[in-house]
Amino acid sequence: MTLEAIFSVANMTALASWLALAASPLFPKAAILVAGRIVPLLLAVAYTGLIIAFWTRAQGGFDSLANVQLLFTMPEMVLAGWLHYLAFDLFVGAWETRTARDEGIPHLLLLPCLVLTFLFGPVGLLAFVALRAARTPSLKALTS
Amino acid sequence: MTATTATLPSLIAPLQIWTELHRREPRLAGAAFLLLSLMPPTLFAMAVDTRTFNGVNIWIKPLKFQIALFIYLATLAWFAGWLPPEKLQSRKFRLYSCAVVAAVTLEIVWIAGASVFGVGSHYNVATPFMAMVYPLMGALAVLLTSMSLVMGVMFWRDRNSTLAPSFRLSLALGLVLTFVLTVIAAGTLSSLPDHWIGGTKSDAGGSAIFGWSRTGGDLRVAHFFATHAMHVIPLVGFVASLTLPDKAAARLVVATSIAFTAFVAAIFYQALSGAPFAPSLL
Repeated sequence: MTLEAIFSVANMTALASWLALAASPLFPKAAILVAGRIVPLLLAVAYTGLIIAFWTRAQGGFDSLANVQLLFTMPEMVLAGWLHYLAFDLFVGAWETRTARDEGIPHLLLLPCLVLTFLFGPVGLLAFVALRAARTPSLKALTS
Repeated sequence: MTATTATLPSLIAPLQIWTELHRREPRLAGAAFLLLSLMPPTLFAMAVDTRTFNGVNIWIKPLKFQIALFIYLATLAWFAGWLPPEKLQSRKFRLYSCAVVAAVTLEIVWIAGASVFGVGSHYNVATPFMAMVYPLMGALAVLLTSMSLVMGVMFWRDRNSTLAPSFRLSLALGLVLTFVLTVIAAGTLSSLPDHWIGGTKSDAGGSAIFGWSRTGGDLRVAHFFATHAMHVIPLVGFVASLTLPDKAAARLVVATSIAFTAFVAAIFYQALSGAPFAPSLL
C-alpha cells in the first residue's frame, strides 16, 4: 500500500464520517458509533502501524520547533501526523455531537462548530465550548 | 432484542465467547484480549514496512508471537473455568497469574521493540543491553510457560471435580506435557546460536504460514508441537469422554499422551539431525 493510497482512503473515510455527523439527527446512534469510535480507532491502527514501522528511521523529535520540522521532512511521519489530525478531530466532532444532543443544543448551532472542527480542529472545539457556556451560565459547561 | 441477536450473530458470538472467557479467568482473558488488539497495528506496519529480518518482513515475528501467546492465554483462561473458583481466587494464584501476564507483556514488548529498531530479539547479543536482556527473556519465557504446569497439577489434584475423569486426566497430562516438552525443545533451541540445523539459515522459502526451514533442521517445529500438547491431548480426552466408557477413555488419553510425546521426540531428533520437517507437505 503506497503512502498516497493510505492518505486518500483515510481522507475519504474521515470525510464520510464528518458527513455522518452533519446528518446525525437522521441516525444518531450509528453516526456516533462510526464517527466517535470505529473510524477514529481505524485511523489509530494505521497511525500506530506507521509509527512502529518508521519512527526509528525518522530524524528530529518533539523537543524543539526545528526538530519537529525535521521530523516532518519524512513523508511517512507527515502521513502519520495527518492521520493524527483526522482521528482526533473526528473524535472531538463526535463528542460535540453527542454533547449537543444530550444537552438539547439545536443541530443548526452545532453545524458551524462541526465545520470549524473539521477544518481547523481546536477552533471548532473553542467555538463549541463557548456555545455551550453561552447557553448555560454555569461552571459545569466549562468543566464537564 | 431477539431480532437484533438473530440479525447480528457474527457480532454477538465472539462477544459471548469473550464474556465467558473473562468470567472464567479475568487476568489471562484480559491479557489475551490485549494481544488481540496488537494485531491490527502490527498488520498495518507489515503492509507499509519493507524492512526484512531473516529474509521475511520484519513484522512477521511479532505477529507470530502475538497469535501464539493469544492462543496460549485464551486456552488457559478457558481451562481455568474448570478449576475450583476458590483456588483461582486465592491470593497466591492471583499474584502468580499477574506475574505470568507481566512476563508475557515483557516478551511481547521485547520482540516488537526489536522490530521497531530493526534488530533481532532472540539470539541478539550484539549490544551489552540486548545481551543482558536475552537470558532474562529466557527466564520469563519459562515463567509464562510454567502456568501450564501449575494448572496441569491443579487439574490432577482436583479430586472433587465434576468433569469426566478421563477429560480431567487429559487436561492434566496435556498441560504438564506442554510445560515439560516446551522447556526441553525451546531450551535447546535457545541455547544454540540459532534454531536452524544445517540448510539455508533464512525464513525466505520456508513452509507456508510457519516459515519452518524446508532445506534443513528447524527446532521451532518441535517447539510448536510440544506447546500444543495442551490442545491435542485435551481434545482427544474431550471426544473420548463423550464417546467411550470412562476406563477406556482414560486409557486412550494415556496412550495419546505417550504417542504425542514420542512424536515430539521424533520431530526434535529429526531437526537435530539436520532434516527438514515435511518439505513436500508444508
